[in-house]
Amino acid sequence: MPLRPARAGRVGVIRAPVAKTAVVAAAVTPGRAPVAKTAVVAAAVSPRVGRRRI
Amino acid sequence: MTEVSLDALGPVDYVVVEFPAGASSFTGEMAKELRALVDSGTIRVIDVLILTKDADGTVEATELSDVEDLGELQVLETELGELLAADDVENLAAAMDPGSTAGVLIWENLWAAPFASAARRSGGQLIADGRIPIQAIIASIEADQATATTGD
Repeated sequence: MPLRPARAGRVGVIRAPVAKTAVVAAAVTPGRAPVAKTAVVAAAVSPRVGRRRI
Repeated sequence: MTEVSLDALGPVDYVVVEFPAGASSFTGEMAKELRALVDSGTIRVIDVLILTKDADGTVEATELSDVEDLGELQVLETELGELLAADDVENLAAAMDPGSTAGVLIWENLWAAPFASAARRSGGQLIADGRIPIQAIIASIEADQATATTGD
């Protein structure tokens, strides 16, 4: 089906071809210890208590 | 559509969600969650397009209004802003695999607008923004663990 006429002849807002990103669904892949990996990631983005950056 | 002043506009983001051939399972769950984000005032949906890419790479775009039985999305459809131009379709579809279907969603982060306005009023300027992929967090953690293991 055609797009609405209002979309034709305008300058686009997506300036360049979009590159495919890594598929997020596969970010925590089933591996040797997927549950442990998930826990580590969760800890990394949790409020810092007693952790130091350096 | 309600007119939004430029100063009160929140950051505008987009996603392209691809459904590989034969892998889609539309139960209405996505529409329900999107509607919840809108109803809670977290986001405002600005535009939606459905793209299909044939095996030969030909791309076709469909307006949300041309989709039968919108269900939860019916209300949103009447508020769309048609930000995307026809020229955007090919750029958006560049990420798609042949034979797939994708939903393109453009939204305003309403939750961020008051903070962004306050930052501007305070003399701040947005000089960078972005997203940290989960993969990058995992890579960082794994690199730390490897360093700890080797003692470097």
